[in-house]
Amino acid sequence: MKVLVLNCGSSSVKFQVIETSLEMIEADTDRTLARGGVEKIGLSDSRLSMDVPGRKPYQEIAEILEHRAAVERVLKVLSHPDHGVLANVAEIEAVGHRMVHGGEKFASSVLVTPEVEAMIEECVVLAPLHNPHNLRGLAAARSLLPNVPHVAVFDTAFHQSMPPKAFVYGLPYELYTRHAIRRYGFHGTSHRFVSIRTAKLLGKPLEDLRIVTCHLGNGCSMAAVDRGQSVDTTMGFTPLEGLLMGTRSGDLDAAILPWVMAMEELTLSQLNAMLNKHSGLYGISGVSSDMREIEAACAAGNRRALLAFEIFCYRIRKYTGAYAAAMGGLDAVTFTGGIGENSPLVRAAALSDMEFLGIQLDEGANRTAPRGKEALISSSRSRTAVAVIPTNEERVIARDTVRVLGGVMPSFSVPGNEAPR
Amino acid sequence: MSERELHRIGVVGGGMMGRSIATRVSQAGLGVVVRDITRERTDQVKDLLAKDLDREIDRWGLTQAEKKAILARIEFTVDLKETGSCDLVIETIHEDFAAKRALIAELDEVLKPEIPVIINTSTLSISELAQGLRHPQRILGMHFLYPVTTTRVVEVVKGQVTNDDAFESARRFVRILGKVPIQEFESPGFVTTRVVMPLINEAAHVVMEGVASAAEVDLAIKLGYEFRHGPLEWADRVGLHRVLNWLEHLFHETGEAKFRPCPLIRKLVRAGQTGARVGKGFFSYDSERSRLDRLPDDTPKLS
Repeated sequence: MKVLVLNCGSSSVKFQVIETSLEMIEADTDRTLARGGVEKIGLSDSRLSMDVPGRKPYQEIAEILEHRAAVERVLKVLSHPDHGVLANVAEIEAVGHRMVHGGEKFASSVLVTPEVEAMIEECVVLAPLHNPHNLRGLAAARSLLPNVPHVAVFDTAFHQSMPPKAFVYGLPYELYTRHAIRRYGFHGTSHRFVSIRTAKLLGKPLEDLRIVTCHLGNGCSMAAVDRGQSVDTTMGFTPLEGLLMGTRSGDLDAAILPWVMAMEELTLSQLNAMLNKHSGLYGISGVSSDMREIEAACAAGNRRALLAFEIFCYRIRKYTGAYAAAMGGLDAVTFTGGIGENSPLVRAAALSDMEFLGIQLDEGANRTAPRGKEALISSSRSRTAVAVIPTNEERVIARDTVRVLGGVMPSFSVPGNEAPR
Repeated sequence: MSERELHRIGVVGGGMMGRSIATRVSQAGLGVVVRDITRERTDQVKDLLAKDLDREIDRWGLTQAEKKAILARIEFTVDLKETGSCDLVIETIHEDFAAKRALIAELDEVLKPEIPVIINTSTLSISELAQGLRHPQRILGMHFLYPVTTTRVVEVVKGQVTNDDAFESARRFVRILGKVPIQEFESPGFVTTRVVMPLINEAAHVVMEGVASAAEVDLAIKLGYEFRHGPLEWADRVGLHRVLNWLEHLFHETGEAKFRPCPLIRKLVRAGQTGARVGKGFFSYDSERSRLDRLPDDTPKLS
């Protein structure tokens, strides 16, 4: 089955066409036929680009004023006789949509119906920067492809299995009941995918493993995946909490915020921008938000870059220990995301001298882990396995789409795991 | 009612107001055409705009990448005809009847009849400015409050003949700027200026009578009524010459004694002490316009 995967941002639409089926998922043989995106939607020089394996990259510049026009354009290019990969648009049998926030309403991926769309609408208040654009893309795709099923896949769904002790904050309880303020966690599709792949790589059933998954990309988060279920994760009510990130602060004492607002006379929007865009690796180093540039600056002796690097790795280390404790043990640590997959320095700094947790890195394997491939980087004597697994959120979305349509999509919520209302 | 889409906005005049509006519009993802009278002026406006954005970056409110994106959506021109492709045009030239009148008459020729034209004013009559135009029904007024970047409210003013279509587009435009539109009918000083001027004037009288120092008066009102600034610092920040103008205008229009300018304000203006911009008004300011002579009690509230 050919599935179109859409990920709509404020001024962008990313897409992939993936050929997959329940059998192909089992054999891990599903494949991407085309991938690409539309950028700068709303401007006169919007850019559509597409990569098809084995072909020269395709690009066009045109005025694309809104999401519907962007999706329309994508469909046209995909079915173009010269550049396309489809004989016609009717070859698309289903569409999978990435949704940032499913609140407490969605504990799995779902078939989109008018009721589901209304429920996603209700989650807008939780993710005002993301959900409206996701919804706009969904509406556009539904009107352009009205005869195929659409499936919504949520960043938050996988973490709905967390117990209340992990997701309720130490605030007045009314804030939870009134405003749904709690830990949700993000990158759920990625944490789920790499935990399943880790079990496959180790040749053990997922149900026997306690895995700490580290998604280290532009945003960074870790999850404690206990026998296949997320029981805790570092990101919280928003993607700001937890690990240090490129430009986000991660954990900090909340009392700092009113203090800084008063001292610097900041507005709410300046404060928000400060935490999300001027902090993290960039804010500490003053060099860059990009780990590659931080590493280069460290090598050149920049002390603030070195400090940023150390803080980054220290937090990963700290949460690894915390999550091992949360799960009562640890069988594997998995790295994914741009940094997780490509920085042996980060992996080594985060997990060195952790033999008390049974972790023993194979330094050579860590250094030479091949780009874009799954690899085991722990030594043969290591009780706890350490793996590098390239994530592929689009593929998970395509797979979920097939699973939902085939009626084999599990829910991640655990019965009896709700907090009192 | 037809909901005309707003994709491209014309801003005539590259002063502080014009630059702030252009920035906000571009930040919202819309295209902007800024028109000023000469190439030297537009180059200067471009520079100043970049500097405004740098200041916001220093305040952590913006990133370099966002600055680039904002600037990329703003075009500059000296030719008024280039606003012809805009879905709404707002003028921000100086507060002068004849100049504004000449400009909107020209815009009336250049723009399609249904394109709303917004006059930025705190004192002039929209209806009078629109008189005799070919399409007076698309003319309406707007009043942005100081400081334009952070103040959340904008007065949207309907003239005698303004039609609902133009008025609704203007209200939507204000929402795009991330601000709250207050709908009003034309009247001297509209709502905000008319209500705040007697407060400033009275504060100046209290100081002049020697009842309390300017710093004490401001602190009392600021803390007492939870204002961000006291009325006198606020007046310094907008410029005392502007305050004096407004008072004179309101006094002239209404004949009400409550608007008669306090002699102390006149005295400061005559001495060139017009406020934060020049470093001296009721209070003293450094080159960043931070106030220097605060009372020890006038500190940020930390608990």
